[in-house]
Amino acid sequence: MLQKSPKIGHSSHVVTLDVRPQLIDTLSALRDRVAAARFPLPLAGAPRARANRDELLAQLDDYLVPRLRDPGAPLLAVIGGSTGAGKSTLVNSLVGRRVSEAGVLRPTTRTPVLVCHPEDHHWFSDLRVLPGLARVWEPRRDGGDDLAVPGGDREEPGGALRVETADSIPPGLALLDAPDIDSLIAGNRVLAAELICAADVWVMVTTAARYADAIPWHLLRAAKEYDATLVTVLDRVPHQVVAEVSRQYGALLTKAGLGDVPRFTVPELPESAWGGGLLPMSAVAALRTWLVHHSQDAPSRRQVVSRTVYGLLDSLKSRLPELAAASATQYSAALRLTAAVEGAYDAEYARVRARLQSGAVLSGDALKRWRAFPLDCTAGELLDALVESLASLLVCSVTAADERVAEAWRHEPAAEATGLAAGDAAPETAEHRIGLAVRRWRRELEEYAEDEVRDLERSTAPDAEAVAAQVATALLGGRRARGAGESLADRLGAHGALRLRDRAGRLLDDLADRAVQSERERRLAPIDALDVHADHQAELIAALSVLQKER
Amino acid sequence: MDDMEHTGRVEHGAAEAGGTVSEGRPGTEAGAPGGSVTAEIPAGRTPISAAAPEPRVPSAQSSSTVQTSRGSEITPVSGAGASGVERSARGKGGDNSDTPAASRTGTPESNGTGTGTPTGTGSGAHAGAEGAGEVWGDGLIARRVTESSAAALAAERAAVLETPSRSPVGVSPAPLAYDGPLRSRLDALRELVGLSRARLDGRTLAEAGRVLDEAAARRKLSGRHTVVAIAGATGSGKSQLFNTLAGVPISETGVRRPTTAAPIACSWSDGAAGLIDRLGIPGRLRRRPLHSAEGDGQLRGLVLIDLPDHDSAAVEHRVQVDRILKLVDAVIWVVDPEKYADAMLHERYLRPMAGHAEVMFVVLNQIDRLPGEAADQVLDDLRRLLDEDGIALGEYGEPGATVLALSALTGDGVGDLRESLGDFVAERGAAARRVAADLDAAAAELRPVYANGRTTGLAEEAREEFAARLADAVGATAAGDAAERAWLRNANRACGTPWLRLLRWYQGRGEHGGTGKMVVRAQEDAETTARQRVEQAVRSVSERASAGLPTPWAQAVREAATRGSQGLSEALDELAAEAGLPPGRPPRPGWWPAAVLVQASMTLLQIVGGLWLAGQIAGVMAPNLWVPVLLMICGIVGGPLVEWSCRMAAKGPARRYGLDAERRLREAAASCGRARVLDPLAAELLRYREVREQYGRVVRSGVSL
Repeated sequence: MLQKSPKIGHSSHVVTLDVRPQLIDTLSALRDRVAAARFPLPLAGAPRARANRDELLAQLDDYLVPRLRDPGAPLLAVIGGSTGAGKSTLVNSLVGRRVSEAGVLRPTTRTPVLVCHPEDHHWFSDLRVLPGLARVWEPRRDGGDDLAVPGGDREEPGGALRVETADSIPPGLALLDAPDIDSLIAGNRVLAAELICAADVWVMVTTAARYADAIPWHLLRAAKEYDATLVTVLDRVPHQVVAEVSRQYGALLTKAGLGDVPRFTVPELPESAWGGGLLPMSAVAALRTWLVHHSQDAPSRRQVVSRTVYGLLDSLKSRLPELAAASATQYSAALRLTAAVEGAYDAEYARVRARLQSGAVLSGDALKRWRAFPLDCTAGELLDALVESLASLLVCSVTAADERVAEAWRHEPAAEATGLAAGDAAPETAEHRIGLAVRRWRRELEEYAEDEVRDLERSTAPDAEAVAAQVATALLGGRRARGAGESLADRLGAHGALRLRDRAGRLLDDLADRAVQSERERRLAPIDALDVHADHQAELIAALSVLQKER
Repeated sequence: MDDMEHTGRVEHGAAEAGGTVSEGRPGTEAGAPGGSVTAEIPAGRTPISAAAPEPRVPSAQSSSTVQTSRGSEITPVSGAGASGVERSARGKGGDNSDTPAASRTGTPESNGTGTGTPTGTGSGAHAGAEGAGEVWGDGLIARRVTESSAAALAAERAAVLETPSRSPVGVSPAPLAYDGPLRSRLDALRELVGLSRARLDGRTLAEAGRVLDEAAARRKLSGRHTVVAIAGATGSGKSQLFNTLAGVPISETGVRRPTTAAPIACSWSDGAAGLIDRLGIPGRLRRRPLHSAEGDGQLRGLVLIDLPDHDSAAVEHRVQVDRILKLVDAVIWVVDPEKYADAMLHERYLRPMAGHAEVMFVVLNQIDRLPGEAADQVLDDLRRLLDEDGIALGEYGEPGATVLALSALTGDGVGDLRESLGDFVAERGAAARRVAADLDAAAAELRPVYANGRTTGLAEEAREEFAARLADAVGATAAGDAAERAWLRNANRACGTPWLRLLRWYQGRGEHGGTGKMVVRAQEDAETTARQRVEQAVRSVSERASAGLPTPWAQAVREAATRGSQGLSEALDELAAEAGLPPGRPPRPGWWPAAVLVQASMTLLQIVGGLWLAGQIAGVMAPNLWVPVLLMICGIVGGPLVEWSCRMAAKGPARRYGLDAERRLREAAASCGRARVLDPLAAELLRYREVREQYGRVVRSGVSL
């Protein structure tokens, strides 16, 4: 990969420096797709996918798109590394004066510092790169000692970037001193990763004590994966062991497939870190020369830029499918959640239907009332009891469905997402809603009964409420309410009784449907609100293939 | 040995309360278990007084019969014992000096003599026990000594006897003995794990099981040795420090990163083979220090382990470090000015091990690389970071981590470390303290599965609601109403005027005889109980019972409720059929026959008056209009009057009759529900409460549950 890609870069670097609007458009489209991808369900791979997405976004926003838009912008070299590796000292020494605070207390650098030539200042003072960071501009100070940085006190909400200018930096080159990649402050870690993503040249600083640390190696591997232009600095090496440590480090790099990465060694000098002094120019001359050369010499500069750009574009080939796969996993998890809800409510709905058929409503209180009906019980009481019993049947099935859902979701890690739990849909409110619906049903039933009775031109017209009660009993009582049907037919005539029963029956079906369905919808609403679609995956892949075609 | 236990306890107390606050501690602690016991009793009794002892039976079948019964008896005893010990410890502390450091360096009556003659140690132990029990006599001591502590004591005596003879080979080292509270906490945890194995999955209990296993394993091994591991990042100078302490270059040092790949052990005295075996360090990696007269005496009992790094790219090193860190008694964390703020060190190791502060040294190495006062600055910053990690620092004599700055290369500050390490090892409390810290950590980890914010138990209100819902399900209210009205109807019919009855009969006949049919309709059919209401009642009661319970126990409660609710509806069906109405004929009030008689006589009056009048009209009788008319009016007015007054008078008995019918049904349903659902629920809750109490015993430090 390393051997191959410079060639790609070389063959196409002429093209790189042209502004290619179509490629930029494609990339912007892809960026929007990436930004639209959501991983809200707490699945095993979700945090990783979220981090990947953020990183990709940062690389697109902070580096790729601005770089393709303005190929002539200064080369940005980001100095990154572990805490205490001497990054700030290195930057100060490269610049030749104290621009970034160095010290013994860790972590030192909290606000990243960007140093560039005064002519290049306009490239960085607007939000062309690193749009997420507010600029803190420091007017140039000659003393160099007075580093009571106001930027450190007023913390910008989204983080800040201090832009410094120095004549000692040649035009066309900018250095950025990043916070530690393994900081105790989590925000610093994120910021460091974001800054490194914005670099044309990654300068990874490590030390004699640290060169085997795990975390910097992750970063080196990432640089290899993205095929970014990488430079490593082995800092703070005691004189006695320079040769051995350097050899060891070289061996490790070669083993990791990074053998051809430019490697610079900076010895540990008394004036180095702990005093915050500057290293003599001779100590950092090689690195400086390399940086200056690659920023001034047009072909090398092109090679550096195109290598990082095309490396990044190439890395999209594997990273976007990864995101797409994570998105698909999210979708399938959401689908499983939905299926569990629908299965539970379908099963409960079937149970409600069966119970209504078998006349389960006419039991308990309602049955006792019905047995006592015309003699010892008024029609109103009978209707009350029936309505109450019907409501309790519906509430019972809805809560049972919720219970089934909870049971099914217990094995789903995705179900722990906030807002999905049944907590907000409290049973009282379900009870309340169903109670309302059932009472409305009763009123409509009574109206129907009144209609029927009114149509009856008979002097001995039966009481409308009694008729309503008997219809309700006949509908809800199943077989055991056969008597109700018969007496209804006696009162209204076979035809009228049939008509009334049909209408009321439709009303009842409607009620049961609506009660269960609306509760189901309520339960599904939070999942729908998560906005997890199958489309995300397809869109990401589509954007990638368009990009491949465009290159 | 015992003296050490006491000093250990003193420090625990101080660790919780921090110095002077511990004055008030024993009292509150003694109050806490008592309070919880008394609080439990009414809560347990309110549900079902008879059932309260019953649920203990199922728990008794699980191997812990003895323990539960013993547990209930022993609670106050051990509590009193503990508080007594605490009090005495406090007393000692108060007498001698307020700083626990004094008790750490030497509890006056025991340690002062203990360092002198070997027998002095034994008497020191006795003295400690005496101090603890206030009125300890020999007999009491003998009774007090349990097998384990007796064994420990015997072993200690044996070790003490052997020490002067200095036989280096073949001596089985005196095993470690934990002090009373720690031992009882470990027992409590073991019991807790046993009790909850059926409810919790293995993964949740794994850590607790590991702690128990390690505690038991450590206990079998030498108590005279303290295993201290040197851990740190790569390049911080662990091996250098190791070599400096040992006085010989044992461990390879170098600039090659990572340098040390396998742990190396170095033991300052004999008998530590078992301890090193436990760490899995092979024989070729065991060394002896250079025997200088001064170093030998100071660090006797120390077993030092040089660990590989934990942060290099070599992952297998980290695995080894993680494994061994769980097994050692104490850790020296070596940091250097470059790496002291590394995220991995703090987030992965120091923060999770914050509870182990008492068995932790944090050493800032390589101060020779720092100019001037920068070393102090860095040390202060390191202290600040440790403080943010939640690690108690052993400053001003308080128990906690010891933070030192040194240079292993130049030897600067190594003397301080050697000294504090020497004190630490001589005190021999590290192993027990480590186990205690492990126990705390395991208990804290288990907290979400045992502890809950509120008191559990089935509120009376919930029980009543459940009964009410069941009564609804069987239709008790409606049945009562129906019975009342039927009785009233019958009463009215019996006392009503015959004419009215005739009219009603006629009307009823006109209405196609529907009434008769409907009365007949009341045939028995299958499902008279409202299934949905029963289901809902069980659901809501189990929800209320399990509210606030940790998940596994809530699940168990729900399962118990579901199991109990099976067949409940059928049982209620049968019950409703049996207990529907009071047996026999409906009761009649005593005035009933009289009312009937009066009503009949009223009718008779009417008839007699009518006949009389008819007779006069027919001329059979002497014309006297007033008397028969008066008679008839009497009858006509009196009949409805009697009927009305009867109706008024019947209301009361009818109400009583109806209420009686309702109550019978309600009670039958409630008792059925209680037997099938509430009792299992209460038993499950009781089991939970038992476990929670046990957990409280493990936690020990009066944490509100």
